[in-house]
Amino acid sequence: MEIIQKEENGVVLLAFKGRLDGKSAAEAEDIINSIFKGENNRLLFDFEFLEYLSSAGLRVVLGAAKEMKRRDGKFVLCALNAYVKEVFEVSGFGAIISITDSVESGINEIS
Amino acid sequence: MGTESILLVDDNPTNLQVLYQTLEVTGCKLLVAKDGETALGIAEKALPDLILLDIMMPGIDGFEVCRRLKKDPTTESIPVIFLSALTDTKDKVRGLQLGAVDYVSKPFQPDEVIARVNTHLTIHRLKREVEKKKDELENELEVVSDVQRRLLPKGLPEIAGFKLAVHYETSLYAGGDYYDIAKLADNQWGFLVADAEGHSAPAAVMMAMTCALFRSYPEPPTEPGELIYFLNEHLCKVADPSFVTALYVVYDANHHTLKIARAGHPPPMIYRSSEKKAIEYPCGGVFPLGIDPYEQVPVTEAELQPGDRILVYTDGITERFSMDGKTYGEERLLRQLEADPGSQPQELLVSIMKDVDKFATGRPADDDQALLLGIVQ
Repeated sequence: MEIIQKEENGVVLLAFKGRLDGKSAAEAEDIINSIFKGENNRLLFDFEFLEYLSSAGLRVVLGAAKEMKRRDGKFVLCALNAYVKEVFEVSGFGAIISITDSVESGINEIS
Repeated sequence: MGTESILLVDDNPTNLQVLYQTLEVTGCKLLVAKDGETALGIAEKALPDLILLDIMMPGIDGFEVCRRLKKDPTTESIPVIFLSALTDTKDKVRGLQLGAVDYVSKPFQPDEVIARVNTHLTIHRLKREVEKKKDELENELEVVSDVQRRLLPKGLPEIAGFKLAVHYETSLYAGGDYYDIAKLADNQWGFLVADAEGHSAPAAVMMAMTCALFRSYPEPPTEPGELIYFLNEHLCKVADPSFVTALYVVYDANHHTLKIARAGHPPPMIYRSSEKKAIEYPCGGVFPLGIDPYEQVPVTEAELQPGDRILVYTDGITERFSMDGKTYGEERLLRQLEADPGSQPQELLVSIMKDVDKFATGRPADDDQALLLGIVQ
């Protein structure tokens, strides 16, 4: 798992590459928690290169979504592959988290 | 650390005496041996916390003593420091390869020996403490696991016209998968399958909470939507940021009808004997339990015919990994569910699990696995 962090016009972008599962969830949580130390209230996860997401990974995404909600901020997931998209559909998480097809549309949505 | 003991091994009485005097300041109990055989005997009986071992000795030499110590399970964890006039790197490497923790050249500096001895005594002590804690934790997890298994239904009910089988296994001692069966009025039955996110103790706690809530539902759980709503309402108070996926099915065995509610859980798989085909039964649903209150929980209805099969399961099956990192997947499970017309649920479940294990090719499961299979007779 590789996570690249960028910040553009007040939006924090995290690009995930590889597998977000039980093994990499703790590392991802650390990175996300360090972002939450700041005042950011606009967060975007770029899942274009995310190959696999387990239930532990879902918990990480959910944790981020809940924290952004507490801050009255905006959170969006972008560019999910077919497998990851299905995980969100079957699990029903799609109903509580905004998902867009591309990073550009994600940035538009939360800017 | 006055309670720790060190065994000193050297065939030369003068060396032994100097070593003894050097290490007296450590406050440790000091044991001595003048040859390899004696050293092995003392090591086995007294189990010292550290052994300082000379290499060149008559009879069995220090290398051989070390080799035998490391071979014997009772003495293998005792750290050994070689103390020798052999200063060739090859000898040092050989000593370390035999499992020694350190190597001190003779003639030695007393301060150096004391410092190294203290370091290795500390490492050894910490290692033992870690192992003890690990054992304690494992024991606790086994207790949790034991309690958890007692929460599951004991055996399966006899249902007229409907045969059932179940498979349940956890990946660690304790797990987050849960299934339960409620006997309702008029030959109706409630089947709950749930999966608390994660595994081990935290998931086991969520699993136990789900079980307690299900069994304390104030009336017979005949309405799947209402039950799921109720479970969620209570789990929301505790589950942050964890969650539980659940599927609840009420089966009317007189009319072969189903009512299904789904919270983040995979839908049931249904095999139609008339079409010889299994599908993931499309059911609307809500997100998992324990996150946010629901507005409304949709309920999906279905009807079964004799020979039809219904499988409810947790994603530990479909997400089971093979050695090369592929997942078992829904398609393969569906094909399994279509196999062997006429077989009984227990046989079919055994053959499904065989196929899952075959697919995993020896890679152990890293999630819990639960399946509940029913066949209309």
